[in-house]
Amino acid sequence: MSGARILVADDEPQITRVLRRGLSSQGFEVQVAEDGEEALNIFRQWKPDLIITDLSMPGMGGLELCRRLRKISNAPILVLSVKGDERIKIEALDTGADDYITKPFGMDELFARIRVALRRKSTTISDDLATLEIGDFSLDPQSRTLKVRNEAVHLTPKEYDLLLHFLRNPNRVLTHRVLLGAIWGGESVEQHEYLRVFIGQLRKKIELNPADPKHIITDPWVGYRFNP
Amino acid sequence: MRSDRFGYWVGLAGVGLAVLALLPLRSYVNSTPIALTFLLVVLFTAVHYGRSPAIVASLASVFCFNLFFLLPYRTLRIADPQNWIALAAFLLTSLIAGRLSLREKRRAEEAETSKLEIERLYAELQAAFAKASEAEAIKQSEKLKSALLDAVTHDLRTPLTSVKAAVTTLLAENGGREPSVNLDEEGRHEMLEIIDAEIDRLNRIVEGLIEMAKIEAGAMESNRTWSHIDEIVSIALARAASITSDHPVRLEIESDLPLAQVDEKALAEVMYVLIENATKYSPPDSEIRVFAGRNASGALQLSIEDRGIGIPADFRERVFEKFFRLAEPSFPTRGAGLGMGLAIARGIVEAHGGRIWVEPSPGGQGTCVSFTIPQQERQSTV
Repeated sequence: MSGARILVADDEPQITRVLRRGLSSQGFEVQVAEDGEEALNIFRQWKPDLIITDLSMPGMGGLELCRRLRKISNAPILVLSVKGDERIKIEALDTGADDYITKPFGMDELFARIRVALRRKSTTISDDLATLEIGDFSLDPQSRTLKVRNEAVHLTPKEYDLLLHFLRNPNRVLTHRVLLGAIWGGESVEQHEYLRVFIGQLRKKIELNPADPKHIITDPWVGYRFNP
Repeated sequence: MRSDRFGYWVGLAGVGLAVLALLPLRSYVNSTPIALTFLLVVLFTAVHYGRSPAIVASLASVFCFNLFFLLPYRTLRIADPQNWIALAAFLLTSLIAGRLSLREKRRAEEAETSKLEIERLYAELQAAFAKASEAEAIKQSEKLKSALLDAVTHDLRTPLTSVKAAVTTLLAENGGREPSVNLDEEGRHEMLEIIDAEIDRLNRIVEGLIEMAKIEAGAMESNRTWSHIDEIVSIALARAASITSDHPVRLEIESDLPLAQVDEKALAEVMYVLIENATKYSPPDSEIRVFAGRNASGALQLSIEDRGIGIPADFRERVFEKFFRLAEPSFPTRGAGLGMGLAIARGIVEAHGGRIWVEPSPGGQGTCVSFTIPQQERQSTV
């Protein structure tokens, strides 16, 4: 992981200075862009492993940058947002950003998010039919059976689809819209109550204490995050 | 309003006058013009005082006509048909003219009433407008508050983010948490430098907010002294020395400028804001000009001119709005402040009774911001 290339896009020079210095001290290679346009140019030539981008920048902002990057790459994108940017932040996550961190943030938190994002990248699932063994979970796509902490758990087809999607995207914010779109298709993306019901059922089956979930974590007003 | 009896007296007096005027002529003219004269009196009375005084005037006229102007004089000859014709004519005139005048009066009254009604409606409308603009003002101030909130989230948080990130990097180095951060001496120094600069920036934002609150509370009035404009200009330039090091500054101050009663510190702030903007939005080494003089109407006028990117015509008024910032792709937001500088400048200038505006620099390229300070009468006490 050390030596990974990180591209930072932010129009605030002081912030990019700190990030460049802090990330370099962790052994990352860092390049900095002042806006989306420049970030795209650097991305094409330098092929970074991860992108950290601010949302509001002059010219091409973070949202548009996410859109453009997703057309050409699967590299993890971490969005820097401030409170008040919720709508645009969710839009960025819907568009394909992997995670967000709210300004002001501590560097250790940023490092942790970066590690998770890079790890996920290196463990992308190639075989759709291979058994997924992640944390407490063991899921066999061929028989559509699930074991949690070595005990078989029966899931309805929709619950199964939902959990599969979570297992394939661990430690990542999944917005309501993304989850609804993935499980029920495009038409139901506005019906958050669907999702709430299924999340509730799933929690009852896989969580030790459904009232205090440790695996499916609610990210308020954004969506859910799955910790294996 | 005249008393009701007045009309009767006027009618009778008119008849009396007609008798006196016509008596010397009665041997020269026949009864027709005489009757017509009486008729005129009746008509006049009817038009001005209404039916009843006119009827009294008619009776008096018939009486006098008969007594003084129908032969034989000084005798009443009731049976004379001329008498009855005259009486009928006079009475009819009284009735018709009285009625007409009454109608006319009513119309006038109606017109008066509708005029009052229109005035009342107009007043109501004005009150409604005043209320509406009050509501608008409240809405504006609500908008302002949310704009302030936006500005605070974005602009206070940016320096806070740098500070927090720098501090947590330094902490991670000593915290020994895995994987630990390894900073060299230079890196540590850079972090501290950033923290220092960002704290200054936070402080500037807070000072700006205080300045704006002061202007809004009208604190400008009390600090005015008679001052030399050129002194204020040089104070502002001295303060701006560190930011103008990249730009040649040309100063043109008209000689013999009069003293002005101003808040020196506040005006120096205006100059500083304008000079700072000029340096921010123009390329290094481009000239900045500062003019101070008198305009056509004798007011003091100061201008700061740059050779920078200029301000699009649509935004030349809006740049003075609180928290307004040009969000044009072509416009650098790097190092941009809270969007308060020009709003503060306008507040200060207007508190002095002056005006501030933006125009392109003479020659087309760049921005010229000018403001005026009206010339006050100097009190003898100073």
